[in-house]
Formats: sequence, structure tokens, C-alpha cells
Amino acid sequence: MKPVYVLGVGAHPWGKWPQKPQVTLALDALRAAFADAGLGWQQVEGLVAASSRFEGGMGWGLHANEIVQTVSEQGIPCINVGGACAAGAIAVQTAWAMIASGQHEAVAVVGAERMPKGFIPRPPGSQDDIGDSDYLRWVAMGATNPAYWALEAQRRFHEFGTTPETLALAAVLMRNNAAGNPYARYREPLTVAEVLASPMVSDPLHLLQICPVSDGAAALLLGSERFLDRVARDPVQVAGCAVGSGQFGDPARRIPTIANNVLPGVAHTSEVVGAVQRALGMAGIGPGDVDILEMADNSAWHLLAWPELFGIVEPGQSDWMLAHGRYARDGDLALNPGGGFLSFGEATTAQAVLQVCELTWQLRGEAEGRQVSGAKVGLSAVLGLGANGGSVVLKR
Amino acid sequence: MLDQTSFVVDGLMVEGPDGARLCASVCDGCGTVYFPRPVSCRNPECSSKALQDRLLEGRGTLYSFTIQRYQPPALFRIDNWAPYALGLVELPEGIRVMGMLSGFDLDTIRIGERVKLVSECLFTDPERGRVMTYKFAPDISGRAPR
Ligand SMILES: [Zn+2]
Repeated sequence: MKPVYVLGVGAHPWGKWPQKPQVTLALDALRAAFADAGLGWQQVEGLVAASSRFEGGMGWGLHANEIVQTVSEQGIPCINVGGACAAGAIAVQTAWAMIASGQHEAVAVVGAERMPKGFIPRPPGSQDDIGDSDYLRWVAMGATNPAYWALEAQRRFHEFGTTPETLALAAVLMRNNAAGNPYARYREPLTVAEVLASPMVSDPLHLLQICPVSDGAAALLLGSERFLDRVARDPVQVAGCAVGSGQFGDPARRIPTIANNVLPGVAHTSEVVGAVQRALGMAGIGPGDVDILEMADNSAWHLLAWPELFGIVEPGQSDWMLAHGRYARDGDLALNPGGGFLSFGEATTAQAVLQVCELTWQLRGEAEGRQVSGAKVGLSAVLGLGANGGSVVLKR
Repeated sequence: MLDQTSFVVDGLMVEGPDGARLCASVCDGCGTVYFPRPVSCRNPECSSKALQDRLLEGRGTLYSFTIQRYQPPALFRIDNWAPYALGLVELPEGIRVMGMLSGFDLDTIRIGERVKLVSECLFTDPERGRVMTYKFAPDISGRAPR
């Protein structure tokens, strides 16, 4: 397979942008990524979109087609991938394969999203019967998404003695990391006391420990060696990327199911753990080699659990790591140095593309206001509805 | 119609002479027990995938819990809403099942407590009468889960 490089990255700041249609957000991010690479549509041989189910895409999830029909009708392949919150990682994997196979030299990736207000609605056409978990969980028990994360957090309190203060510290770290990040939506610093004083949503999770929803867009231009001499800086290589789905017997409380079969020896959140292991294996490195982890922090609990699930630290060790500053930008593992989902608000399909943008800025030394010094290896990890996991390893 | 009862969704549970039971399935090929009833056995090592109906007694231990402090969106219908507990219950059949908790003081719920299945009215509807769901309540019988 041919090596694949990140030629350019770009993002539209996260926030609420009612005046900007999704396609406009996408074009802003793509324009920024192309400018970053010093290339243009003329060099792009394919576009992969992480497709939204909320807006645009001609109602059929044809976001890549909609974009080229809007801005440059040049006959290139347009590939639209689903994967809910993991769609961005699946799009990166797809673009990587198009280049690594030798079929194409430069392929762009985009994710753009404007999130509906309040709870995410069920998709049209779903059956109101027991065969639809996303119906069953509401009518039978009213289980919100935070309730699923809270069940995991409460169990962690029981197993490892995690305290409310430590869980609050995870949310504080994300805000501290976001303070200097112009792309983040929430940048005001927080204290542990403020997190614990925010309303309890689903015990033990407070409002400020749960990621809100936002609008945002991110884009990448991936390319082969052919373009390296045209990019004026140290190249960042896609050293590994992988997509995974869930394993039978996984003990994670997977949204929106109401029950699961639990078998010994099966990884928790196996769709993400499997993707991470394959991506690291492809890169020829171990979890201990990771300098920066960009991970999906849908809640503060995820920040404690995921580094353990990936084998970066031992089970139960995250509390100590967090309390001793080892997950800070100057620690052993920089955890979401740009602020994570808690500081951005999730713009579902765009989020995993943004993770790769952030890792690229960090590895190049261009993460102004939030730079991790000397980072050489970045790992992304994301989870999507439908037991979708995705992971990317970048190296410089 | 108010004296009639129905379940919140068809195929979820039944109410028998010995109390409420969950509608589950067991795979003839690999012995895996599923709730709710699936379309197919999901075990990748199983090639038979022939499912039979089975009812679950629903006695187990509380694996985790949370308190819902905000009213869920409108698909969830409940009369006299107030914050309530949701539990994750480990059943001896190798399944963890989520459900509302009943009969617990919200401040003193403890992981590891023994619970049993009960049937309770969520709301009353002019068409459907008393609409029931399953919940897990403290099991004071002292009987260990099988
Ligand atoms: Zn089977």
C-alpha cells in the first residue's frame, strides 16, 4: 500500500450558526483545508462526506454530491458514508484506502453538521414497536442518552472509588484545554465547584459533565507522496486507520438498547477498542507510544474510561492520572488538548474529522493557544450509533 | 375502558399467575438467552440460530443505577412525573437489563442489592386503560438468584 499524508486541514468554528446552511459550513471548512495544503479543487480526485441525517444531502445523504454540484462540477467520485457520530472516521478510512490503493492521488474528506434543538429526534419511518430499540427505550423506561453514561459512571464509582470531584476534574480539564482554542464553543474556565454546582441531570452526571450539541464543520485533504514537495512543512502521515463494529458479549451499555448479553473477556466498547487496536497495529506502535489522544468525550466518564480501555493506562488508573496532571497538555498523555466534545458540543458527523484536524495541528506545532510540545504520535477514537467505532493514528 | 390494562409495548412482558415475566428467547444452538426477543441469535460462533420463546422471572442483582432528574421527551408517557431511578440489573441468564426501579428510596440505592421484577402502571389512557411497564423492586424474599 502507498503511504498517505495529511496535506491540508481546516474547520469552521463550532457554535450555533442559524444563518449558515450546512453546505456553506462544509464549503468554509473545505476552503480552509485546501488553502492550508496550497492546493485547490483542480487537484482533488475524490470527495468523501460523512453524511448527516439531519439536513442537506438532497434528503438522501448525498452530501459530497451536493457540495461538488454547488462549487465545482468536475466529474470526480463522490462517496457518502453513514456511521452516525463515527461517520467522520469512516470517511477518513475510505479516503485513505482510495489513495493507499494507488487509485487516486488526492482525496478530500468533509463533515458538516447543524444539530436540531433538544433531544435528537428518531428518524422518520421508524416502527413504533418492540423491534425498534430507540422506541422501546423511551416508552418502557424513558432512558435518555445521559442515563446510559450515568450507569457506566455510577458503576465506576463502585468499582474504582472514583469521586464526584475527580469526575468534575475531567470536565474542568476540557475547559482549560479549550481556553485558547478559537474553534471551541465553550472557552470560559471552570472550577470543580462550578461543575458540581451545575444541575444534576442523571446521577452522578451534572449538566457540565455532558456534551451539548453544536453546529460545525471540518475538512481534510489527504494525498500521496506526489504532493509532498508542494507542501511547505513537515508532513504528517496517516500511519494507521481502522473502523470496527461491536463484539458479541460486550459489557458496554450501548445506546439505544435496553439489555445486552455479557460474556467474560470481551472488551468494553469493543467497536472502538477494536478500531484503536487495529489502527495502532497498522502503525506498528503500542498504546504507550501515544502522545495525544483525541477521543469522544460524550461525558466526563468517557475521559476516565477510554484511556484505560485502550491500554494506555491500567484499569482504574485514570483517576490518579487526572488528579496529578498527567492528562494535561504537559502530562504523559495529552487528553483532548483542544477541549474535546465537552467544550465544542457535538456536531455528530463533523466531530471525528475535527479530531484528525486537531491532531494534525498539534503534530505540526500549529495549535496556537493549546500546543502540546514535542508531540510525535496522535491517536483519535470515536464511537457512533449502531456500534460503529473509528480510529486514526497520525505520525510526524 | 379504565378497568382494562395493557402493556406499554406488545411483546415486552406478560402477567401470569406468579407475577410479571419478561418475554425472552433462548437459542437452541448456543443456549444464549435474549431479551427483548431478537430477530436472530447474535452469537458469531453459533450457526444454528434457532430461537425458542422463554419467559424470564427477572430476579437478579443491581449492577448500576442512576436517577433521572429531568423529564424525558414526550415519547415517554408517565402520570404524575417526578424524578425516578433507572437500574441496570444482572440476571442469572447472562443478561444485563435496564429498567425503572420501584420501591427504593432514591438516596439509599446500593449496587449489589437483590431485585425482582414487578409490573406497574405508567399512565392511564382512555383507549388503553392502565398502561403497564416492568420495573425492578427490592427482593425481600431473601432468595438468592438462581
Ligand atoms: Zn445461538
